[in-house]
Amino acid sequence: MNTLALLTGLRFVDSFFPSGSYAFSSGLEAAVQGGAVRNAEDLARYVEDFLRGGMSRREAVAVKFAHEAATSGKLETALRADRELDAMKIGRESRLASRQMGRQVIRIAAEQTDGQPMLKKFRAAVAADQTPGHLPVALGLTLGSCGWTREETVAAFLYHTVVGFVSAAMKLLPIGQREGQRLLEGWMPMIGRLSADSGLGTRMSSWTPVQDIYGMRHGRLEYRLFRS
Amino acid sequence: MAVSKKSSDTESTSSVGRVGELKLDYVRQDRKTIIARSRCTSPWHLFPPIYLDDSGSAYTLLLNPSGGLVGGDRLSIEMTLGPDAHVLISTPSANRVYRSLSEVSVQVVDLAVGPGAILEWVPEPTIPFADSRFRQVIHVTLAPGATVLLWDAIASGRIARGERWALTSLENEIRVTTASGASVLERYELTPREDLGQIGLAEAWDYVASLYVVGDAVGVDTWRRLEGALATILDERPGRVLGSVSQPALPGLAAKVLALTAPDLNATLAALWGAVRTELWSLPAAVLRRY
Repeated sequence: MNTLALLTGLRFVDSFFPSGSYAFSSGLEAAVQGGAVRNAEDLARYVEDFLRGGMSRREAVAVKFAHEAATSGKLETALRADRELDAMKIGRESRLASRQMGRQVIRIAAEQTDGQPMLKKFRAAVAADQTPGHLPVALGLTLGSCGWTREETVAAFLYHTVVGFVSAAMKLLPIGQREGQRLLEGWMPMIGRLSADSGLGTRMSSWTPVQDIYGMRHGRLEYRLFRS
Repeated sequence: MAVSKKSSDTESTSSVGRVGELKLDYVRQDRKTIIARSRCTSPWHLFPPIYLDDSGSAYTLLLNPSGGLVGGDRLSIEMTLGPDAHVLISTPSANRVYRSLSEVSVQVVDLAVGPGAILEWVPEPTIPFADSRFRQVIHVTLAPGATVLLWDAIASGRIARGERWALTSLENEIRVTTASGASVLERYELTPREDLGQIGLAEAWDYVASLYVVGDAVGVDTWRRLEGALATILDERPGRVLGSVSQPALPGLAAKVLALTAPDLNATLAALWGAVRTELWSLPAAVLRRY
């Protein structure tokens, strides 16, 4: 990847990017209150299962299809992935969180990334409510348009996801900056392998029953710091 | 006798396998739902519907006397429900998927629910034995005003033998599509022995189930009330049942349930199902006869 492509894409996965991700915990808050995640070791396992059973098989596949759409110019590939993801995300909060973050990414990407008709078309479809605009699809299209490879795009999406978990965990658990960095370090080899594994032709699937349940339970928590 | 048919699937059906078809067309006749047409090939056995109460709902048991599927089996179920029909489907016992060293056992279910019709699909759990290979596909299409209640549960294995998640592969796909084209989709592919296919946190639980209740004629307030009722039920067995309910991207509810034991699972199902019947159809809980 050339340096300009790197920098252009990096903005969208940087925690400084205004996607609103700081407001979401992907069900972690409910898992902490439910006693399923009490410390850094629990969190390491919880997120690892989430990556292996869910994110790598569902969201990462959507990222990959969106990336394919960006490089082939076939928008329908991204729209199909977006619809499928919406049908699979049965928890209302996590579905709406993913849509909100995706819409923010595609809005800024379509406005600012020069000469990318695909991003503008997707942005128009989202604005017209013709497609939900989920984060993995928006990010796949955006990084694909920036010139990132499929593997780099999937890895960036998974990295963005785990950073979100650490960021939420630092508010929910007695976990500091150094512990947070240790957790990220621990997940990197798995993210590397999962990104390399995501060849085209895979169907979206997901097996994260525990994480799904906590994600769905979040809306009924009495006290909440996060919106998901 | 096995009846062969040209399969559109890439899965081969060798001579050891069986291709069993069950086709049932239900219609409402006066106050009762009856089977207007049927086709049934081995191993399926078809018994006439049972009428459990005076609602006219046709209760049908899906009976596979072999008690399960072996490698190479390809069983299919195709059902249509005519306008305002009401059908309740269950099975007499768990659906066992036996060990297979090479071929996959397949069950394909296609359910078309007509205008104003109600389908309650409440089979016993699937038990994937050690080294089993199973693929299930359930597709439901709803006409305007149709409602489906669909329950699907799997066990981790033959728990009494200490067999947990020892299966080779399990694929499950459930899709419910409304008349407007919106759908809810669940798809998982388990390969517990592969490096990246490990089962994860469900290890602690021996039963994993999903409940979908979908219908475009049900009002928003009713869904909200029912969601509250189901959430309360799912909180009633802390430590023994972990579950939750939410609104998928179509008119309806989806619940996920993890249970430690079969009695926990069955009690939870009974309570959830009872709440849906009361709220949506003002019907009492169904008391199933399984003989």
